[in-house]
Amino acid sequence: MGEAIVITSGKGGVGKTTTTANLGTALALQGKKVCLIDTDIGLRNLDVILGLENRIIYDLIDVLEGRCKVHQALVKDKRFDDMLYLLPAAQTADKNDVNPEQMKELVTELKKDYDFVIIDCPAGIEQGYKNAVAGADKAIVVTTPEISAVRDADRIIGLLELEENIEPPKLIINRIRQHLMNSGESMDVNEITTHLSIDLLGIVADEESVISSSNRGEPVVMDPTNRAAIGYRNIARRILGESVPLMTMDKKNQNFFSKVKSIFAKS
Amino acid sequence: MAEAVFYYYGSAGDTFLKNLVYIKGTNKGLVLQLDDQCSYTDLLKELQAKVSDPALEGSAEVQISLGNRYCTEAQIKEITEVTQKGTELQVVGVKSDVLTVAECNQRVLEQQSETYVGIVRSGQVVKADGDLVVVGDVNPNGRIVAGGNIYVLGRLKGIAHAGANGNRDAVIAASWLEATHLQIDDMLEIMTDELTVLSEQPEMECAYLHKSGSIIIDRLQELRFLRPEISTFKGGS
Repeated sequence: MGEAIVITSGKGGVGKTTTTANLGTALALQGKKVCLIDTDIGLRNLDVILGLENRIIYDLIDVLEGRCKVHQALVKDKRFDDMLYLLPAAQTADKNDVNPEQMKELVTELKKDYDFVIIDCPAGIEQGYKNAVAGADKAIVVTTPEISAVRDADRIIGLLELEENIEPPKLIINRIRQHLMNSGESMDVNEITTHLSIDLLGIVADEESVISSSNRGEPVVMDPTNRAAIGYRNIARRILGESVPLMTMDKKNQNFFSKVKSIFAKS
Repeated sequence: MAEAVFYYYGSAGDTFLKNLVYIKGTNKGLVLQLDDQCSYTDLLKELQAKVSDPALEGSAEVQISLGNRYCTEAQIKEITEVTQKGTELQVVGVKSDVLTVAECNQRVLEQQSETYVGIVRSGQVVKADGDLVVVGDVNPNGRIVAGGNIYVLGRLKGIAHAGANGNRDAVIAASWLEATHLQIDDMLEIMTDELTVLSEQPEMECAYLHKSGSIIIDRLQELRFLRPEISTFKGGS
């Protein structure tokens, strides 16, 4: 029996779908069997980021309405030896065509065959959100260091805390630009975690390569040297129970001399 | 306290009057003491006769004392109207020694203190009839409402409304007072950066409604001078 994790944020555009794709991929790379569910019905994106768009035959609505079996609708990602699957959202229906009970049933069904069922939640707190959280055991809240995103994260955490079947949510701070944090122009990691007072699961740097790799349909996490990828890989390892220290966001290429200098600067 | 008390039993010749209404002069003004045993219609009739007595001349502020009679809102309004109609009397207060069970229960609730342990997050509302103690933060767009005082052991960064049932003496105290909105009774203050009452350091502060009608923020330590009646602690040495 696996576990179901919902990835949510309240605000749109903070990187829920990117996070879902990359965490799913990272967990699959760690040898776990992962199923991703896109619940953003009518505005599906997860398939595009994973590069599986043109392999879709059936979707979530087809499964829920009995037009096909679950395994027929699942799209296999051939890059990861049968480890990563996607259940795409329907594009021609809307969020009100699904109800939380159906989702719960579906997720319970999938948990039997997969180590992780990762649910990509749509933005907002309406029907789409309710459907996405219905079957989840755990929740991850994604935010960025922007005040508006943190406000919405606070709202969504309040709602998640009311859900009896979900463990206390964990936080991912996405799109961190270190120079803005250093200059005090954006909230820093510490400020955000004290404000939201939930456990921090990890931080991810803002890298242009995240956008370019998403456009290519290859999750950035596949490139092990990328800083954003390391962030996602660390998060995946923490989900698996490892204790991994928070990565430092400072200078990319610290040479030996500057390291020695920084040691002396501290003392 | 010694009060100078004068009784007027109506002028001689008012034989039908049964002395159901006493007009009492105290050093705080006139008090109309109404009998609480007779029927309401008799009382109203006599009240009308008494206040229209030509002996009672000049304008005055009067208090009405109902004794152990329970009157509905409508009846109180009627008594007030009868007293003021055609006279120069101004009713400034109506007092009764009795309460309904519902009113009594409401008063008990208002005197209780409720405790909320947790974070009041954006979009959440925590309400109490009496005092409210929040152990945790109140985040922006989180709202706490109390009939009495509000005490926050944590950071108050949202909206706080004390004295919501009309208690203008209510206060809002917080370990960290950084609210976006503060409201006491019906007085709302928006905590903008331009506001001069906002101090540099929001730590350990309290907000109260000043006599001038605006909300003032002061050090928490000043509360014992500003609202000494809040303290219910008795005894000790």
